[in-house]
Amino acid sequence: MTGGSTRVQSRFRRLLGVVTAAMVAVAAVGCGTGMSEESTGTSEQGEQGPVTLEFAQWWAPELPEGSFQELMTQFESQNPNIKVKLLSAPYASTKQQLVSGAASKTLPDVVGLDGAWVNDFAKQGAITDLSALMAEAQYNEGELASQIKVDGKTYMIPVVNFVYPLFANEDMLSKAGVKEVPSNRTEFLDAAKKISALGGNVKGWALPLDTAVPNGIQNDVMSWLWASGGSMLTQDGKPNLTSPPVKSTVEYVKSLNDADVIAPGSLTMKEQDKVEKFTAEQVGMMIDSLAHITLIKKNNPDLNFTVAPIPAEDAFTGKRGIPYASWGIGIADSTEHKAEAFKLVQFLMSKEANAKLSTLANGFPGNNTAEPDFSKSDPLFKTAFAIYKEGYPANEFVGLPKSEELMRTFDENLQLTLTGKQSVDDTLNKTQQAWASVI
Amino acid sequence: MEPAHLDRTVLPEAATLEAEPSTPPAQDRKRPFSVRGLAPYGYILPTVLLIFVLMVIPIAMVVSYSFQDNVIVQRNPVFTGLANYAEVLTDPVFLTAIKNTFIFITLSTIAHLVLGLAFAMMLNTGLLSGLTKAIFRVVYILPWLFTIAVVAVIWRLMLDPFGVVNYILTTIGVLQTEVNWLADPTTALWALTFINIWSGYPFFMISLLAGLQGISSDLYEAAAVDGANAVQRFFNVTIPQLKPVLISMAVLDLIWTSQQFALIWMTTGGGPLNVTEMLSTYTYKQAFSSYEFATASASAVIVLLLTMILAFFYVRQLRER
Amino acid sequence: MQRRRLGMKIAVIAGLSIGAIFAGFPVLWMISTSLKPNGEVFLVPPRLISENFSFDAYRAILSSEANLRFFLNSYIVALWVTALTLLVAILAAYGFSRHEFRLKRFINVAIVSVQAVPPITLIIPYFGLLVALRLYNTYGGLIVTHMVFTLPYAIIMTTAYFNTLPRELDESVKVDGGGGWTALWRILVPISVPGLIAVGIYTFMISWNEYLFALTLTRTDDMRTVPIGIQLLMGQHSYEWNQMMAMSILGSIPVLVLFLFFQRRFIGGLTSGAVKS
Repeated sequence: MTGGSTRVQSRFRRLLGVVTAAMVAVAAVGCGTGMSEESTGTSEQGEQGPVTLEFAQWWAPELPEGSFQELMTQFESQNPNIKVKLLSAPYASTKQQLVSGAASKTLPDVVGLDGAWVNDFAKQGAITDLSALMAEAQYNEGELASQIKVDGKTYMIPVVNFVYPLFANEDMLSKAGVKEVPSNRTEFLDAAKKISALGGNVKGWALPLDTAVPNGIQNDVMSWLWASGGSMLTQDGKPNLTSPPVKSTVEYVKSLNDADVIAPGSLTMKEQDKVEKFTAEQVGMMIDSLAHITLIKKNNPDLNFTVAPIPAEDAFTGKRGIPYASWGIGIADSTEHKAEAFKLVQFLMSKEANAKLSTLANGFPGNNTAEPDFSKSDPLFKTAFAIYKEGYPANEFVGLPKSEELMRTFDENLQLTLTGKQSVDDTLNKTQQAWASVI
Repeated sequence: MEPAHLDRTVLPEAATLEAEPSTPPAQDRKRPFSVRGLAPYGYILPTVLLIFVLMVIPIAMVVSYSFQDNVIVQRNPVFTGLANYAEVLTDPVFLTAIKNTFIFITLSTIAHLVLGLAFAMMLNTGLLSGLTKAIFRVVYILPWLFTIAVVAVIWRLMLDPFGVVNYILTTIGVLQTEVNWLADPTTALWALTFINIWSGYPFFMISLLAGLQGISSDLYEAAAVDGANAVQRFFNVTIPQLKPVLISMAVLDLIWTSQQFALIWMTTGGGPLNVTEMLSTYTYKQAFSSYEFATASASAVIVLLLTMILAFFYVRQLRER
Repeated sequence: MQRRRLGMKIAVIAGLSIGAIFAGFPVLWMISTSLKPNGEVFLVPPRLISENFSFDAYRAILSSEANLRFFLNSYIVALWVTALTLLVAILAAYGFSRHEFRLKRFINVAIVSVQAVPPITLIIPYFGLLVALRLYNTYGGLIVTHMVFTLPYAIIMTTAYFNTLPRELDESVKVDGGGGWTALWRILVPISVPGLIAVGIYTFMISWNEYLFALTLTRTDDMRTVPIGIQLLMGQHSYEWNQMMAMSILGSIPVLVLFLFFQRRFIGGLTSGAVKS
């Protein structure tokens, strides 16, 4: 017994020795490089030394490999005194990381932003006033398609815009006996019913109402309102949810639900799921970002689909609003290199670079003089661009305070209506009350 | 020098920092082993240093936030006393979250215990060869190996209305139509609990397996001599021997499960209709959607207090043994 | 008697098999997904093995420098966390198990309660503290952070293991003139090795899979860990399903190896103390 134990013990000791040695070796390799990376958001700067800007974004992984870095290299060659370090972050955690970073003053110099966060970050003092910087640099604001402002000052500039038209599976439409892509609500309901009648697991429409990331309210619900030129706010920006246009929108969505044309799982469906189901041909039509065209084609090359304006109310003939999401850019308030950071912003918004980035990302440029190069991309982009030009970009959530919470409150109440637990009027009233305490 | 050696795997007899070691009554005198009174402090110094330095300040800040308003996201915090607590405790969503969390952690922990014990006992059987058991052990430990984001994502995929779980269940006839496991308010909480049970039972299984090794076979033989059958042996020998371990792990599991956030957020986000809203998701939404760090802190302090009550009862019942 | 034994054996194997399906099926599905092109992930009816079976995802992960760096970082952090946690826990457990002193109860409760604060509320103050300590974006910062999570459990379990060993054992070193320190390292630790291995594996697991603090406390790709790498594949517009699953599988291998290596030691002998089910 004791003999065995000594043998076991010395074996263990040897193992321990080996493991320790390995760890020390590994750590020696690792610690060397790791520990030196102790930057805290504001970078070193000698008197004449180069300035290093840190740029946190989620864009690089969404673009072709290395293409975003190339743009940065181009910027660096135009600005020999500035180096750009790209920091990547998982998209889902970006907002939370930015809030935390702002609180401990470790925000990177330049940050990628979503329009829905701007109001709150501006209030937190996380991002700096870009209007002032633009004035200092004597920047020509005319080229900017839009600026996101809070209290009259710009805090974010949309670099690339992704519009959300209607996607329709053409094969499925013709199989269901629908001749044309629906252009008003009645036609849409009809088409959706016919598609759902195809049976199997096919449905006409997908409605992602996940409450963790409630963008579905913006992209898939309010889009119906905006497509008919409606607004969810009054002239002075107060909630107007009990107005007839909003009511008819919610009733319409409810009618789609009652007609059982919506793909199952709607209450916790995420935007990514919606795209996957469309790609897998489980859903015939969806409202979705143009950025997905390439993705869909890659994952299902045989899928025959097209894009169209979002259907409006039957008698509507005016300009149709089209929802959009942007890759926006802002500058941290805590950075020591505001001027250099603005140079980077200028670069990304310059006609050439902006056009290039938009082409790579399959979005529309934030510089209204930039012409994206559609020659090499899918013909659908040209179609979409035409739709974009005919209508107007509509996203009333951008610039609102606590927009995620606003969307979530609407979402939760809408879910009650869709499951039959609350009437449309109650939903609108309750949400209106909740919004009024925020806006 | 040849140290004495116990020829068995140790059984965590009483998983607490309180219990006296199992010495016979004759030597039951509390005589400190070390001569210098400072030695014990030296042994616990690294721990105390690490935990207190790193945690005391942040926890104190959280508590202080809970008594203020306008923290973090505004530039001028204002002291508001217990207002945040009142707001949280009267929020119906918070109360729903408490109810759901209670159901979630209770069911999860019980299932973890039962499954962990069942698997441990099956893996401990003398009826199978060592190799067979080793293979099964590896399979059973698999849920433990993956980061929670991946667990959430893969289960979402499998529980999709047209996913593989529904496919199999409808094909073999258990279900008539596809079930919206995670999107249907009536099934979401149970589906979520099931996923959590899947991802957490290996912890119990491994600890209980180690524990089972330490139960002396003499006890079983003695029981068999007294005429006890397998079931009676289980309840009169196995369970009592394992009881301290079971209780400690249950308490730990209740605490850890109540902190579970990523799994819920990435599968259901607290919905649909708040049926899977837990204290963790509630706190997160307060903090990062409403930007109300003060109420989020208040919610956190409430969770801390509730847990300390649990810990208090746990420590008390141990001392009485 | 022989028939009854056989019957029980079949029952146990059946039970184990059902359990194995429960435990292993999702992992099987993970592997299946990692070997499919992304477009087939939502295919109906679902297929286990795709027609376009390929190892592309694995190739993509292993050829990416950033990903390899993530693996390295995770290893370094997890190994250090395990080693240091075990060391600190052994010391603390010895203190708790073999000594009485004032504040013992208080420290006791504090260590357990520290786990009770929701991490999401802690993240901002903690982050600020680590920045102030100049541990932001360093291995050291991650290591001490993970230690805070793993120590309470490690101390509780190690103390319990020590508590089962009678004090007479410690006394045997007195013969040779040794003191408490010798007793700890010459006697208690070697005997508790199986339990310590269990604690060690668990600690490694926790550190390897931790996401929230790893994300918040690191900034640059050269410090980030595997869970972050996996989440980076969950883009704004789509998930890279096959790569995500491939990375998870690759990420689980080190822990599996550890477990396989050590399981004999900590499961203990197959003979003495074995229990008939």
